[in-house]
Amino acid sequence: MSRGALSFRAVRKVYDPEGKAVLALDGVDLDIAPGEFCAIVGPSGCGKTTLLNAVAGFETLTAGAIQLDGRTIATPDASAAPGEDRIVVFQNGALFPWRSVMWNITCGPVMQGRMSEREAREHGLKLLARVGLKGCEDKYPNDLSGGQKRRVEIVRALINDPAVLLLDEPFRALDALTKSVMQEYLLELLVQFPKTVFFITHDLEEALFLGDKVVVFTSRPGRIKEVVSVDIPKPRSHEVLTSPRFLELKAALSAVVHTEAMRAFEAGEKEMAR
Amino acid sequence: MKSLATAASAPSATPAERGVPLSAGIRKYVHRHFDLVVGAATLIAFFLAWQFARPLGIPGLSAVEPPTKVVAASWDLLSSATFWTACYKSVLRILAGFALAQIIGVPIGLMMATNRMAFHTIFPVTEILRPIPPVAWIPVAIIFWPTREMSTVFIVFLGAFWIVLLNTIGGASTIDESYRRAALSLGSNRWHLFRYIVLPATMPSIVTGMVVGMGISWEMVVAAEMIASDTGLGYLLWQSFEINAGAQVIVCMLAIGIAGFVSSALIGRVGRLLTPWQGRR
Ligand SMILES: Nc1ncnc2c1ncn2[C@@H]1O[C@H](COP(=O)(O)OP(=O)(O)O)[C@@H](O)[C@H]1O
Ligand SMILES: [Mg+2]
Repeated sequence: MSRGALSFRAVRKVYDPEGKAVLALDGVDLDIAPGEFCAIVGPSGCGKTTLLNAVAGFETLTAGAIQLDGRTIATPDASAAPGEDRIVVFQNGALFPWRSVMWNITCGPVMQGRMSEREAREHGLKLLARVGLKGCEDKYPNDLSGGQKRRVEIVRALINDPAVLLLDEPFRALDALTKSVMQEYLLELLVQFPKTVFFITHDLEEALFLGDKVVVFTSRPGRIKEVVSVDIPKPRSHEVLTSPRFLELKAALSAVVHTEAMRAFEAGEKEMAR
Repeated sequence: MKSLATAASAPSATPAERGVPLSAGIRKYVHRHFDLVVGAATLIAFFLAWQFARPLGIPGLSAVEPPTKVVAASWDLLSSATFWTACYKSVLRILAGFALAQIIGVPIGLMMATNRMAFHTIFPVTEILRPIPPVAWIPVAIIFWPTREMSTVFIVFLGAFWIVLLNTIGGASTIDESYRRAALSLGSNRWHLFRYIVLPATMPSIVTGMVVGMGISWEMVVAAEMIASDTGLGYLLWQSFEINAGAQVIVCMLAIGIAGFVSSALIGRVGRLLTPWQGRR
């Protein structure tokens, strides 16, 4: 696996610099190795989505740089440019509701001219079967359940064979049971299609279960508070959630996450009072 | 097994079969179909009041020809060529004005929503013209357009145009940014974005504009025909009033109402064809 090395150097992002000037990210330095699953945890509003949007090419940076395999994909100098080597699974889902599941999955490779419609369809059918969605290809996304939609969106990303898979709190809206099933689907898919993964969550347990590396962010402005390697071998199943090592890591990090969450909460209170 | 089958069929047995007195059966029916019964009773009461308004001296209603006369008049009118020609003319004007409103309004709306320059160029003009009721345009339309036919179609067009334009702008400028971003990541060019994102995402609003616009089209065609035309249902309605044919006035009103209802239903059908993904969970 030689694709998908992400590096962040002194990344800084200020929204609306002439107006209210919201400092969202400040001095973020991070390296993600090819094929590594990097889970980002932090209180809401700390700048996680901002960082993901910069990687995806939806936002420019105020300072610093982001590189993918040595190629600069975000700097203050260049305008933001998305690319099919970095595909996002959106926080609130962005399957096109006006098109069938199959169209949603195959539109990427077909628009890029990488596959014929027939090739893409064959490929799509295989992937759908892999995630337990055989027979759903001609349905509209809104005919599916929340968990099924998420699976389709992940398949839509994977079929483009991106260098990095960007997931923004993908399982947030799901119930606990569906969520745990989805986590196992994701890990299984990644065994077959290894990818560098940039995974945002506010759920520490989820981050530790899925991640090779967990990055804890401070409350806004987002800085890196702590980086932890999760030395629990993969493949993991849900039994590890109660293993001593898992509980140890969780105990060590939950204090940090909680402190930052409290800080974010108090900052929010102050802002409200002002 | 047999007892189960009997039990299951019991509720559908008629009251008489079960030995229940008929009056109890009626009471049960009224209870179950309360809305239907009340609705039917109101309608019957209304038609009776209308029919006997003159002998009873009901104010307002007694100025109108009773339903029996209206039925007789509709028989005469429906078998005359005048009526059907009028229908045909009005429908043609509706189709022309409505279609023009879509053909011109939708592209302008899409352009205004997706292009800031276009928006700021066109918006001031529309804001000045839009508050003017289309009916107020009738004199200008008569002067401006070479034929009365064109003037009438223009008024219909204008009525539908604003609502089509506003709905298209509204729909196209509130598209979730995630769709655009997702499409760009997946390799969309500008044409793909328009064809696969902007157009379908705006389609439900365009359909709303069509439905509302069709209703307004009928209002406009009637008003314009009364003033600026010598054919069509609006003209026939006014003409019937002028020659004091009261029953015929009512028939024309009902005909316009039915035509409006049918065209709304048709547009609703078209709308569902254009947005097959809508109306799901
Ligand atoms: N387009 C924007 N303009 C101004 N402020 C923004 C914008 N997007 C996000 N922000 C602000 O930047 C901060 C970080 O946002 P975000 O990255 O969405 O946080 P997270 O994903 O960690 O919850 C928040 O305070 C948010 O209000
Ligand atoms: Mg977020």
